Amino acid sequence: MEPSLSFLSLLIFLPTIGALLLVGFNKKAVEAMRFFTFGVTFLTFLLSVVLWNNFDASNAGIQPAADGISAEWIASWNIHYRLGYDGISLPLVMLTTFTTMLAALASWSINKLHKGYFILFLLLETGMLGVFLALDFFLFYVFWEVMLLPMYFLIGIWGGPRKEYAAIKFFLYTLAGSVLMLIAMLMFYYGSGGQFNLLELGRIAQGKSAGHSFDEFTQIVAFVLLFIGFAIKVPSFPFHTWLPDAHVEAPTPISMILAGVLLKMGGYGIIRIAFPLCPVGAHYAAYWLVAIGVISIIYGAFAALAQTDFKRLVAYSSVSHMGYVILGMAVWYVVPENGISVTANRDHWLMGMNGAMFQMIAHGVSSAGMFFMVGVIYDRVHHRDLNQFGGLAGKMPLYSGLAAGIFFAGLGLPGMCGFIGEVFVVLSAWSFSPLLAIIAASGVILTAGYILWTMQRVYLGSEYKGPHAEDITPINGREATVGFVLLGMAIFLGVYPAFIFNVMDGSMAQLVDSMEAGLQAAGVAINTAAQQASLLP
Amino acid sequence: MDSLGYELSWYLRIAWLLPLLGFAIEVFGGYWGTRKTKTAAYLAIGCIAAGFVLSTVAFCRWNAETGAFSHSGEAAVHEEHASLRHIPFAGQAAVADHAEGHAAEHAEHGSGEHVHGEHASDGAEHGGAQHDEHHAEHQSIAALSGTIYTLGKFGDLEVSIDYYIDSLTILMFMMVTFIATCIHIFAVGYMSDELTEDYVDHFAHTSDGHHVHRPGRFYRFFSYFSLFSFSMLGICFAGNIFQVFVFWELVGICSYLLIGFYTERKSANVAANKAFIVNRVGDFGFIIGLMILWTYCGTFKFGDYEVDGHERPGLFSMVRGHDGELAQQGSDVILKTHGHDGHWQAPQEGESKTIPYTLLVVAGLGVFGGCIGKSAQFPLQTWLPDAMEGPTPVSALVHSATMVAAGVYLAGRFFPVFTTEVLLAIAYVGCITLFIAATIAIVATDIKKVLAYSTISQLGYMMLAIGLGGWAAGLFHLITHAFFKSLMFLCSGSVIHGCHHEQEMPKMGGLRRKMPITAYTMLVGVIAIAGLAIPGTGQLMSLLTFGAVDKPLAFSGFHSKDAIVATALAYTQLNPLHFLLFLTPLVTAGITAFYMFRLWFYTFAGDPRDHHVYDHCHESPKVMWVPLVVLSFFAAFCAANGEQGSLFGMLSFSEPVGLADGMTATGTAAIAVPSHHAVHDVHGTAGAVALLAAVLGTLTAYLLYCRKVVDPENIRNQFSGVYNFLVEKWQFDNLYDAAFVRPSHSVARWCAACDRNIFDAILHGSVKVCIWVATIDRKFDEGIVDGLVNLIGNVTRSVGLSLSVFQTGRMRQYVMFIAVGVVTLFALLFAFMPKA
Repeated sequence: MEPSLSFLSLLIFLPTIGALLLVGFNKKAVEAMRFFTFGVTFLTFLLSVVLWNNFDASNAGIQPAADGISAEWIASWNIHYRLGYDGISLPLVMLTTFTTMLAALASWSINKLHKGYFILFLLLETGMLGVFLALDFFLFYVFWEVMLLPMYFLIGIWGGPRKEYAAIKFFLYTLAGSVLMLIAMLMFYYGSGGQFNLLELGRIAQGKSAGHSFDEFTQIVAFVLLFIGFAIKVPSFPFHTWLPDAHVEAPTPISMILAGVLLKMGGYGIIRIAFPLCPVGAHYAAYWLVAIGVISIIYGAFAALAQTDFKRLVAYSSVSHMGYVILGMAVWYVVPENGISVTANRDHWLMGMNGAMFQMIAHGVSSAGMFFMVGVIYDRVHHRDLNQFGGLAGKMPLYSGLAAGIFFAGLGLPGMCGFIGEVFVVLSAWSFSPLLAIIAASGVILTAGYILWTMQRVYLGSEYKGPHAEDITPINGREATVGFVLLGMAIFLGVYPAFIFNVMDGSMAQLVDSMEAGLQAAGVAINTAAQQASLLP
Repeated sequence: MDSLGYELSWYLRIAWLLPLLGFAIEVFGGYWGTRKTKTAAYLAIGCIAAGFVLSTVAFCRWNAETGAFSHSGEAAVHEEHASLRHIPFAGQAAVADHAEGHAAEHAEHGSGEHVHGEHASDGAEHGGAQHDEHHAEHQSIAALSGTIYTLGKFGDLEVSIDYYIDSLTILMFMMVTFIATCIHIFAVGYMSDELTEDYVDHFAHTSDGHHVHRPGRFYRFFSYFSLFSFSMLGICFAGNIFQVFVFWELVGICSYLLIGFYTERKSANVAANKAFIVNRVGDFGFIIGLMILWTYCGTFKFGDYEVDGHERPGLFSMVRGHDGELAQQGSDVILKTHGHDGHWQAPQEGESKTIPYTLLVVAGLGVFGGCIGKSAQFPLQTWLPDAMEGPTPVSALVHSATMVAAGVYLAGRFFPVFTTEVLLAIAYVGCITLFIAATIAIVATDIKKVLAYSTISQLGYMMLAIGLGGWAAGLFHLITHAFFKSLMFLCSGSVIHGCHHEQEMPKMGGLRRKMPITAYTMLVGVIAIAGLAIPGTGQLMSLLTFGAVDKPLAFSGFHSKDAIVATALAYTQLNPLHFLLFLTPLVTAGITAFYMFRLWFYTFAGDPRDHHVYDHCHESPKVMWVPLVVLSFFAAFCAANGEQGSLFGMLSFSEPVGLADGMTATGTAAIAVPSHHAVHDVHGTAGAVALLAAVLGTLTAYLLYCRKVVDPENIRNQFSGVYNFLVEKWQFDNLYDAAFVRPSHSVARWCAACDRNIFDAILHGSVKVCIWVATIDRKFDEGIVDGLVNLIGNVTRSVGLSLSVFQTGRMRQYVMFIAVGVVTLFALLFAFMPKA
């Protein structure tokens, strides 16, 4: 079965339909709304499984049709409603439906204005899926903004004590990124004679389209704009300070989605838009990108080490872990050969790209799990002060066991998902810059430090030191289910990462080769600091 | 021979995976069983014992095919040692009759299962002993390797789960499963006080001063043990260095869980964290090594492998080729990527893959960094003594016999990739470690701490041996040490159990009367580690066995330490500059005998010093002393006949190529490595001086602690400076705390403050600027824009008012206005209309 346009649309808008139906619910029927929302997210997940099963891994291009499937939307501006997926976006679609489903299960803890919450929650899922499936730049932009508003309200209404501050900070940061993206989008639109089709724009960047091309300057400027826009979302140093605040104030399920899916949009945007549309810019900035990635890893880990708020700590760990994504994508090492720029470390770069993508999936699973685990204990004792926990292993053994497993996944323990992403990225990095690779690798010590120290303060020890000790009850079936599913996924991906790699490898290879082609087409003389810094011959 | 590798890999694979299955069931023991059931323990024992049986089967098959064990007595006749160099190591043997179709068929199975790399010709079953100069026609099996499944493949780069089986792998499997089985059984008795709903932890207190009460965790202990066994066997089974790293970290986390088994005790948690984090420091080096090898070699596999029907060299072949030589060219090493049938050479013409020599050194040092962490070598030795917080069976299995030995195992396994400089570094690290740890052991009074330091020291011996090129000697000591050290730890466990968790030796004394089995099995271990032998019995043995055996009567430790000291002596004869590498281990052999006998005399001999402890002390139950007896048998006799024995012979069988002949001085370090022949020549001398040192140490201990010729208290007071320095463990903990731990917390605080005070301050500042601009804007609007608008409004109004004079209400006047207006408009229109 070839998924049709209506099938993809159904996948995107099924949550919206659910949201519309929710309007008709009695606002006191809380339990019904919870199960209904979960049902909708579960159905959406099933649809994405159908998509996964129909995926043809041998086809590196966009599926189901080479240029996506589209319908005309705003003809006068050449805007199309164009959808499609490949090995890069499909795992993220799966991650979105999977995480949202688990977040719906975690939404039992929401205790006010249920109807509004669930409506916004479902709208948010539509926005996220739309971003990952859109192949028209304008459509991408629209979904990007669509996702922003529900998030703003979800944090701003259902959040913690400083929710307004956090929500506005989140909104302003993201909006600033959107504006940069908008400028870049218009640059491409006018530079290409009126194109929003991402695939066509990619072809132009590769010099495969007669009549139009993006010159070096355009590519570099556009890349910088796009990168900053997306880096805010990732978030990478120094644009990361919205994240701890947003996470600390957001309710648990929203934190799960924020860390599990929203951050991935930044990485996805770079791979789907910034890289293929501006290969010259990507190459130009490669060294900076790698450096930013490395700084994020180390800085985030250090900052996490200093936190006393449990959720803030997990938020900083996200900054650190997402640093690997930026690092892995950018290890593109180019040498001039007979006057042509040639990728010298093609396979290693490909590995870094794959590792970066895998890290996004892995972080989606492990950080959603970590936030969930924080939420479980927060729901009971209503505080997150790391110095006022202790001894939970004795009081909540199953919870502590699950949490330990998930934290180990975050720590990058082999056999669990975090390890594969991190280590593949780091292994590929030496071929680009030994110095930065070594600094990145030193992150393993810091990560072990802050995770183990946290576990010691929360789960180990002779007794619980904080308030509401009497409310500490064992984990319930629903919570245990979420925990087991996430932990199982973390182990499965860690033991058999080829499950993801098999799907995305072809598309990644195509992207890597097309970027080299784009660089060669632009005919830019290559000699940047990156080359001199590397020890490769 | 494909089938042999396939078959062996399945025995070992099942032996490896069974404990994992056991773990998955046992860890939920709280749900399917009561706190009082021992089922989890039986399950764990069943898994590991079945693993031992399977390892034994693999061992027999291997021996039947290669004769590595049963014929090695002959092979070890020293003149024939030279022939060993012809046995290719590390998967370099031929793939001559490897059916490609067969491989393709396997590949199609999707499991990636293709067994290759090794082939033995028809002569193989005659065994290593038959090999002589005609080796070229008689390829032998050195190692069997293959792939189980792929983790990720990127262009030509592939990361996979592989296996690599040679004598070392099989011996490690045998040793680990056997010792683990013994310790599992011992633990059933030792941990039996956990079989309760209400366990009182006397070492953990709540804030109101009470002991912590908790349900027993018997099942959990055994689930961790199973997980550990799985991880440890994974290291031995691993067919590539990446996979070693995977299980390396997994044993690390098992060690973390087991050290911190008593989660309620703060000291246990801190020790567990310390163990894991210090290990990660070593692993940081390991990753650097991996990065370099990955970038330049493009593979992690030890053995040769196939891609789409084409042979590719594994790491060992790539670096060393089939002759064991590095192909150096200027400052680069040419990787041997050219060849077939296991004969790999540097390409003659065209493209060659190279790696800078310095980076090869760095890679070797990096991987060895991992070994330093895991094997608690200087400067990362500080975690191991603290790790004694775990229950004693854990110390016996994890922190003495197996996991900490993994560092030595890896140093041995990865030997072909190490350059001379790296080997020298290994030797010196081992040398420093063995001395430091031994000196601290002299002053330790906690029975487990003494054993912990002695473990560090003995691991130092192994590292030293490997660094000196005594590959087989180092791994020989690994195996013998595993037996006698696990024995001694279990004995100490028996003492601790019998004395109701008293670990301080000054409170013991005379216990041999209360627990004779423990005392005398312990004595076996002490004699073994001290390296005592009965001089002159060599001749006797030779007569009795018609010359087959000419070693003196001694326990295992003597033979293996003897081999190391002999290597060291031969080494210093070649490299006089490095004489310390011989003197230090020699002196330390005396110290070892001293502190081990001190321990024994302190604990078991003399009169009881604390009657409360003595009166309540009792011999351990049968489930605990039977493993002691079994282990003491192996501690005594596993190395029978020393270097002519089967165990050493089997190890030598898998020795890296080129070692037997030694190495001449090359490279920047200009180090020569002695040949087996040279080592053999000095064997007698080395054995004699080592024995002399051991006897001196033993005598000193006897005089001080048994005869009490001099009161140790006086010596302590006399040298209080040295004493305190040793008690403070050479100040390493304090140094690291000041140099690393506290600075990182400071940096962490700076980072957090930076976010608050710089990034957020910039954001808040810009927001304030925006608000300020908005305020100005508002004032502008209200004051100027609105003022203007109001002004205009006012003007309009007054104009309107003044115009109202026209609003007369008279119809005729209006019509006139309209007419005039229209005319004017038309006039303007015509005046300004563009000409067509």
